[in-house]
Amino acid sequence: MVRRQDLATIAALVNRAKNELLRVPGAAVPGVLAPTIFFLGLNGVFGSLTQLSGFTTDSYPSFLVPVSLLQGAGFTGAATGVNLARDIEQGWLDRLLASPAPRWVLLTGLVLAASLRAFIPATAVLLVAFGVGAHWPGVDGLLIVYAVVAVTAAVAACYASSLALHYKSQSAAPLMQAGMLALILATTAYAPLELMQGWLQDVARVNPMTLVVDAVRQGFVGGVSWEETWPGILALAGMLAIVGALSLRGMRRTAL
Amino acid sequence: MPAIVVEGLERAFDEVLAVQGVDLEVDEGEIYGFLGPNGAGKTTIVRMLTTLLLPTGGRATVAGHDVVREARAVRESIGVALQEAALDPLMTGRELIRLQATLQGIPSGEGRRRADDLLDRVDLAAAADRRVGTYSGGMQRRLDLAAALVHEPRVLFLDEPTTGLDPVSRKTIWEEVRALNDEGTTVFLTTQYLEEADQLADNVGIIDNGRIVAEGTPESLKAEVGNPHIQLQLEEGSIAEAEKICARIGKLLPPKDGKTMLVEVANGAADIPRVVRALDGAGVEVGALELVQPSLDDVFVAKTGYHLEQEDEEGAASEPVET
Amino acid sequence: MSRLETNLRVVRALGMRSVRQTFRRPQLIAPIVVFPTLLLAIQTGGAGAAVNLPGFPAVQSFLQFMLAGAIMQSLMLAANSGGIALAVDIEMGFTDRLFAAPISRYSVVLGRLVGTAALGVAAALWFLAIGLVFGANIEGGVPGALVVIALTTAATVAIGGVGSAIALRTGKASIVQGLFPLIFVILFLSTAFFPQGLMVEPAQTIAKYNPLSFIVEGIREPIVTGLNGTDLLGAVLAVAGIATISLLMSARALRHRLRTGG
Repeated sequence: MVRRQDLATIAALVNRAKNELLRVPGAAVPGVLAPTIFFLGLNGVFGSLTQLSGFTTDSYPSFLVPVSLLQGAGFTGAATGVNLARDIEQGWLDRLLASPAPRWVLLTGLVLAASLRAFIPATAVLLVAFGVGAHWPGVDGLLIVYAVVAVTAAVAACYASSLALHYKSQSAAPLMQAGMLALILATTAYAPLELMQGWLQDVARVNPMTLVVDAVRQGFVGGVSWEETWPGILALAGMLAIVGALSLRGMRRTAL
Repeated sequence: MPAIVVEGLERAFDEVLAVQGVDLEVDEGEIYGFLGPNGAGKTTIVRMLTTLLLPTGGRATVAGHDVVREARAVRESIGVALQEAALDPLMTGRELIRLQATLQGIPSGEGRRRADDLLDRVDLAAAADRRVGTYSGGMQRRLDLAAALVHEPRVLFLDEPTTGLDPVSRKTIWEEVRALNDEGTTVFLTTQYLEEADQLADNVGIIDNGRIVAEGTPESLKAEVGNPHIQLQLEEGSIAEAEKICARIGKLLPPKDGKTMLVEVANGAADIPRVVRALDGAGVEVGALELVQPSLDDVFVAKTGYHLEQEDEEGAASEPVET
Repeated sequence: MSRLETNLRVVRALGMRSVRQTFRRPQLIAPIVVFPTLLLAIQTGGAGAAVNLPGFPAVQSFLQFMLAGAIMQSLMLAANSGGIALAVDIEMGFTDRLFAAPISRYSVVLGRLVGTAALGVAAALWFLAIGLVFGANIEGGVPGALVVIALTTAATVAIGGVGSAIALRTGKASIVQGLFPLIFVILFLSTAFFPQGLMVEPAQTIAKYNPLSFIVEGIREPIVTGLNGTDLLGAVLAVAGIATISLLMSARALRHRLRTGG
């Protein structure tokens, strides 16, 4: 059962994470810049892929924008893991662990902060995408965008946190970032499944993130339908359950 | 009921046994000083007692709760200020104490009130809304201490609360610890400073290499060592000669550096003339001479064979010397 | 021992140090090797059908085409990390110790660049090996591979010079680190990842004049067509131009730092 004081603790931890953003000048910039640059860059480079027969849309920005949105969310979640590793190195986590607050509450505070923070790069990428001609996804499509961004950031934050709790060092940062990047890009990121090649096609076929990319993409390249939405929700829920359990286990095993 | 009971506590890291079968008991309302050099196992024990680290053997209860099976209840009863003074430089002092109050499950209105009181108490009211990153070392320790008090814990753990602080800041922390203790809080404090243990602790445990080597009140420990010693400053070349002479009068203690010699004597001040005459007769020049009453350092030397605090201010213990 | 000999030994020792430093820290080696490899794999599998686009140059496979881009990306990141490491040395006061030694101060910077160049060589070897393992031909054969390695090394020094100039001028690792996004901007606006004629405007026009495109084409030519020298000349000129400017900038920044003391 969730108690009032648990909610207060979660809110307090989210509040603390907010400082990181508001009190460090330029802290939000890298998180916004990376997916935006990749979006514009890949658009300029691979834009003519839409001329291939079998490509599902003639607007490459519309096709690409889901990937950059997810990349922004993954990047933000990974940053949460890096910050946690720093907190472990500096002893801050001990303050939280020595308190009677339940471990899942501590983890939720951390992860929720990542989810909320991920709205910043997502909004920036969306605005830039519309600027270079991405289609309007509809209100339902937009809702899906923000919901998926929040949960993807949570998945990334849990994944990165479990690494942080295991390695207890910021030097695990590349593993956090590369892991999320691989998960998000080994999908139908750049082209539809039929046009992909070799082993990556096989990986994308079984990668649950492909379902998530497709769910976000539908609004931009066509219309939103429940059939295209629920597999993405299911995939995200499954991933969150797994990495959530992993990171909670990591939180409980810090005393080992 | 004792506030802390530790029985056969052990902790291994891979192959290394950092804590090897520690037993101790701390009574309610007591200040227990845990004295030992860097790496002796002090912090490992504190981390186990504060539920941050699981023991690999033995058991311990804090405030009547088992640190493994009833970790949550332990966490509700303890206040913890750890060595790093784990503070977030981006938060203000007030925010930090309020966060700690929330973590302890204190309602926000009450938390606000206690934050104000505590900031006042540790003399940080004026700096309360400044970021912690701008605080001096002493201010940070005081803030950390205040945060540990927000839920009025029964047992307070302070891991080296004054390490690295200047003498004035150190005294301030001491006064605060004494005041808290007067109000009934049990304090478990680790330190590598002899004076700190001597000044604050009702009972002292001396730890070396993961084992408690001596325990008791500072007075009883010093009495156990027994006799005072004479400290002599000599020319570097004449030490060997002087040692030969003084060994006939008293017991030689391991020297602190190359120019002093320590001789334990049975009759205190009455033995000084004998020592001086003997050295004078042999032509050994004495630079300075002092009669030193037994200190916790003597206890430390007697139990471990080396000094806790070195003259060079390293803080760490030297290599063991033969006694 | 002559002074030249002493300075050469210093350059070698500092070069070895910077290579060791990189390999011992996952944070440093990951961006140079892991990320470009990951992107190469993803872009090859994801956008590989691009070779079927009308107007795509004749290549054996998209992987073969992309190798030069991956090498370019890797060498730029190596150059940047060399700059970061130099700035960290300045922040920590390590360079002060070196500047106080009776050696040429240029050899301190040169040592760092030699280390960076070694990483460039490693990057070229790594991606050529990856290409061969996954079935890409190196059309220019062994001489072609040697040209790729030589060109990569020279380009790493040239671009590494930019990183060290900024490190020496600012003395702040965070500023050099801040160039990271810029590297990708420049890369995306070159022919590193796609043929210039098929890129989308305005990237297409910018890529046409981007000196990086010349270097990429110089690295790509021995891999996809063989050694015929058309693109090589442009690449050598581009590298020489960048090297001249960046090394002059570094030397000026070094003199400025020594004169003003930071």
